[in-house]
Amino acid sequence: MARGTSPLETMPVSRFARQTRWSLIVLTGAMLAFLYLPIAFLILFSFEDAATPGLPITGLTLHWYQVLASDSAIQSALLTSIEVAVVVTIIASIVGTMVAFPLVRRGVRAPGLLRLGFTLPIMIPGFLIGIGLLIFFRQGLHPLIDVQLGLYTVVAGHLVFTIPFVVLIVASRLQGFDRRLEWAAADLGAGPWRTLRHIVLPLIAPAILAGALLCVTLSIDEFVITFFLIGPQQTLPLYIYTQIKFGVTPEVNAIATVILLVSLLAVTLGSILLTSSRRLRRRRAE
Amino acid sequence: MTVASDGGVPSGPAAGSSSGLVKRFGRALPALPGLAVLLFLFLVPMAIMFVFSFWRTNNDFVVVPEWNLGNYARFFVEGTYLRTFIKTLIMAGLVTVAALAIGLPFAYFLVRYTGKLTQRVILLAVIVPFWTSYLVRVYAWQAILGEHGALNQILQAIGVIKVPLDIFNYDDPGVFVVLTYIYFPFALLALYASLEKFDFTQLNAAQDLGARPDQAFRHILLPQIRAGIITACIFVFIPILGEFLTPTLVGGAQSSLIANLVLNFLRNDQFAEGAALAIIIAAFVTAIMIVFRKSFRVEDVVTSG
Repeated sequence: MARGTSPLETMPVSRFARQTRWSLIVLTGAMLAFLYLPIAFLILFSFEDAATPGLPITGLTLHWYQVLASDSAIQSALLTSIEVAVVVTIIASIVGTMVAFPLVRRGVRAPGLLRLGFTLPIMIPGFLIGIGLLIFFRQGLHPLIDVQLGLYTVVAGHLVFTIPFVVLIVASRLQGFDRRLEWAAADLGAGPWRTLRHIVLPLIAPAILAGALLCVTLSIDEFVITFFLIGPQQTLPLYIYTQIKFGVTPEVNAIATVILLVSLLAVTLGSILLTSSRRLRRRRAE
Repeated sequence: MTVASDGGVPSGPAAGSSSGLVKRFGRALPALPGLAVLLFLFLVPMAIMFVFSFWRTNNDFVVVPEWNLGNYARFFVEGTYLRTFIKTLIMAGLVTVAALAIGLPFAYFLVRYTGKLTQRVILLAVIVPFWTSYLVRVYAWQAILGEHGALNQILQAIGVIKVPLDIFNYDDPGVFVVLTYIYFPFALLALYASLEKFDFTQLNAAQDLGARPDQAFRHILLPQIRAGIITACIFVFIPILGEFLTPTLVGGAQSSLIANLVLNFLRNDQFAEGAALAIIIAAFVTAIMIVFRKSFRVEDVVTSG
């Protein structure tokens, strides 16, 4: 009795099977509704023409999107976010991929410890990372240099948690990598760099790309760490936060909708990339 | 050094063997930039925070090296801190239980009753919003909760309730619901990863041998997905210890969690006091991770997207 066949064949022996199945279906439906209803409301309210969003809906409008398009504060915040995300993604993708190699291929004495080290920043609440860095920059480094909070400190904060994601994703792809391909390349006279460039990198590229996409979304959406490390400039989440704190304008719903849809797209794309690379590898292994 | 295989493939000429320090260093070299970031932007700041928690903030808001335990003593002496901390633990515990209660049947359903394609689509549907803006997802609840929020309005409109329900106000129950909303996908991913590896014919075998379904569940299934359950718990419980946004956006005046109190110190530039409170949270997080280090698998959650 294999999994993944028709539901009837996978039915358990229990005579409660049918009820179980239906209650599970209902539960799943309810869960998906729970996940998506808030998002649906947010999108709905972004089209509402009342000044205070909420039910009942009195009329629909594109007004808030027009306001959005002509709001220079939002645009500069968006640009700042993109700027940070690009720098973070480039550094994190390169540095993270570099770490993955010795991690998987036993270039270091204690891969377990290294792995733990790069797991910690993912597990530790961003709150603690943010506070630690804030105290570090504001007071810890004070006797040596005077660090001004700004985009550099934000980038530093984002690197702490994005690099580990790249490390884990690339390492998990590298784990199943068929090293005979590299040996074949070496047998045929390719040096280590050439092998890396023409054999290894193209094969793990989907994982690196997925990692990079993840970095972009994580960095653009990042709120907690940025909250502590931002200077006079504002990233988009920080701008939205101030708007929310100082009175909700329906414009916030519009910008939130845009962010949500863009990151939905990026994550879906990244996820498809990741699975397709995994499937490719599985097929190759068979 | 053991010459172990890399993912089932036999080690080749380049792997293993003690071929000198230089070569070893050369192979570790690519990890250095990453290690530098880890060291200088994570471990050192944490260490400094730890040291500062035993120092004192002077009147110019500079942390000065006067060693004392006052920052910690405050935690135990002034009731607010301990009370809020315990409240945070209870809240995190409740959300963890809720996430398991939702995640386990959900994951079970996915693995057991749906085909590979449906599984992937539903899983994707769960994962995708969970990688999108945390701030926006918390904010989305502001319009749903509250006395005139969408939930009250809808229930009134369809006649289920006559007056707005207090339970939907910006208060602790609301914080609980939103936290569950934010964190239960973690639990689902961890549980799914472990259930997917489970061979369900074992349940049938157990029942053939006379076990009741609940016995088979308890003695066969549960022990084998233990690691998944622990991973799920950790991934829900730990982040809530650092939650300050949700209480701020959808909580009431009394909904502060421990992280909000740390924030109050930082707002007043009381870094030493804030550091002590943050270290208490960090100590808790570290203790949880050390106790369960053998059982939790970050990769299950991170790379299954």
